[in-house]
Amino acid sequence: MIADAIKNKTKAVIPYITAGLPGMDATGEIIRSLRAAGAAAIEIGLPFSDPMADGPVLQKASHLALKNGFTLEGLMEHLGDWTTSIDIPLIVMSYINPLMRRGIGETLSRFRDRGVQGVIIPDLPSDAREIHALCRDIGIDLIRLVAPTTTLQRQEEVISQCSGFVYAVSVKGVTGVRQCLPGEVARQVQGIKAMTDLPVCIGFGISTAEQVNDMLAFADGVIVGSHLMERIMGDPNPVIAAHDTLRELIGPGIESIR
Amino acid sequence: MKTELKSFQLPDEKGYFGPYGGSFVPPQLQGVLDEITQAYMEIKDDEQFLTELHALYKHYVGRPSPIFHARSLSEKMGGAQIYLKREDLNHTGAHKINHCLGQALLAKKMGKQTLIAETGAGQHGVALATAAALVGLKCDIYMGEVDIAKEKPNVIRMKILGARVISVTRGTKTLKDAVDEAFEAYLGDPITQFYAIGSVVGPHPFPMMVRDFQSIVGREARQQFREMTGSLPDNLVACVGGGSNAMGLFTAFLDDEEVLIYGVEPSGLSLREGEHAATLTLGKPGVLHGFKSYLLQDEKGNPLKVYSVASGLDYPGVGPQHSLLKDLERVTYVTAGDSEAIDAFFDLSRFEGIIPALESAHAVAFALKLAGKLEKDKTILVNLSGRGDKDIDYVAETYGKDYGVV
Repeated sequence: MIADAIKNKTKAVIPYITAGLPGMDATGEIIRSLRAAGAAAIEIGLPFSDPMADGPVLQKASHLALKNGFTLEGLMEHLGDWTTSIDIPLIVMSYINPLMRRGIGETLSRFRDRGVQGVIIPDLPSDAREIHALCRDIGIDLIRLVAPTTTLQRQEEVISQCSGFVYAVSVKGVTGVRQCLPGEVARQVQGIKAMTDLPVCIGFGISTAEQVNDMLAFADGVIVGSHLMERIMGDPNPVIAAHDTLRELIGPGIESIR
Repeated sequence: MKTELKSFQLPDEKGYFGPYGGSFVPPQLQGVLDEITQAYMEIKDDEQFLTELHALYKHYVGRPSPIFHARSLSEKMGGAQIYLKREDLNHTGAHKINHCLGQALLAKKMGKQTLIAETGAGQHGVALATAAALVGLKCDIYMGEVDIAKEKPNVIRMKILGARVISVTRGTKTLKDAVDEAFEAYLGDPITQFYAIGSVVGPHPFPMMVRDFQSIVGREARQQFREMTGSLPDNLVACVGGGSNAMGLFTAFLDDEEVLIYGVEPSGLSLREGEHAATLTLGKPGVLHGFKSYLLQDEKGNPLKVYSVASGLDYPGVGPQHSLLKDLERVTYVTAGDSEAIDAFFDLSRFEGIIPALESAHAVAFALKLAGKLEKDKTILVNLSGRGDKDIDYVAETYGKDYGVV
């Protein structure tokens, strides 16, 4: 259960990595190293040619992974091994179009069969009741995104079609390392919490242990993507880089292995 | 069919044209789209706004654009009579100014400071830079490096008009990549910027809004054609990249069941993968750039590389309403290739003294074929959506020898 995995962790940090970078085998090793470093859950992003919600770092990661020959079918071969090698939830992030090629239902069922517990679709329309019902029937969490600019009416709609956790986007633009304003984010999270019992995790723009601590004062978890991928891509040993980066972000004094 | 035709009052309030359209965007963008939708719905039937817009159409753009009976060309084909809706005579040389003025006025009313957009052939970019200069807004135009090289005169025009032209070097360096980069820039600051999309594509409300602003073309044409000939045209023809000039002409005629409508897609070099941009002809429904529509995509769901001699048609998607019109079989989508378009470019130039844009030359090419198959008392109205000044260097360099230009 994704919600429990987040709630039970004192410091729930969810690392995001792009699948297939630098290669499929490396992705498996990185997943295990992130687990060892104390991740609460792991989000893996499926590369897409036109990732409209992503900033330069994740765009670059996406394009490199596609250039390396990433395919959805190739991913399906590895997913089962990855989910059985860790005792925390694995969440898949994908833009909607690649999921539609063989039918969303079939693709999500195949994820579920391979142990994936949740899916994030950043370009889902705010009213996605059909896909929400589909996910419920299949037994996979549909994690929805809420932005600071999301109107109250849309927030209610999105949250009523959400499970696992609510992903609060902390900035107004695309993903990428930048300053967040904790005061504004705190108000945003409080607003969401008033509407739901689901955990609320904050993503977009988090790159330091201090920010993680600031955010965890009012949120249930944080997601770290661009900063981590930048380190992974810039290091000759991506597996160690992933581990060390996550350790730095979680900071001292917290159990790394239960 | 009649009840289905009524559904042309689309989209619904969530932006869907049947199964197509919608708003497939990250939530941080949805907020601003909601704001634009609300602002547009407020001014769309507002008398003051419409008076202001139509005064500009008349005194600035030079509307109504005339309809011209292309007698020599019709005679050459020996069949139906070909008429041209002369959008090429608009200020800035294409139909794009119609929706640019509308969007610029809206942005100004919303208190935005900068208009941003992508452009393929540079027609939309020039029109937007013009509108921005007129209403007093800054303007950033994103354009693929390949297109910048091909459409130099338009690039210079935009700069003269005070716009910044940002060269896009990612991917195939053409229109799709320019859209990606413009979206990214927009997400970076959706508060002071207004993304004035260049066609009937993108998330709601753009396909509706751009169509509404363009629909002046068909409304004029319907009345003008009746006055000229005593009846409606038997056939309409327009080229389709994103599909803005086509929706502009078609919209006023959708309920006239006796009018046959053709949208012409570019088959480029061939219908082999990567050599064309015939989205409705060969694509499958998918989601790109925030809306659901037919899409040229590979088996993994990534958009395919597309190609056309006409930069403005070089796009793997198409406006969502076109997808619905295809499924309803209200519009027939056909193709014309590079060489047919170039032939038509020279035919129109040499038989009628009108140099068309390469985009519009695709519509002319199909109209010529169609005319040859029809009786002399039939009529074809072609949307001549743009003029070819921007293309002359490229055409002379690439095809000049074959046509005795160089």
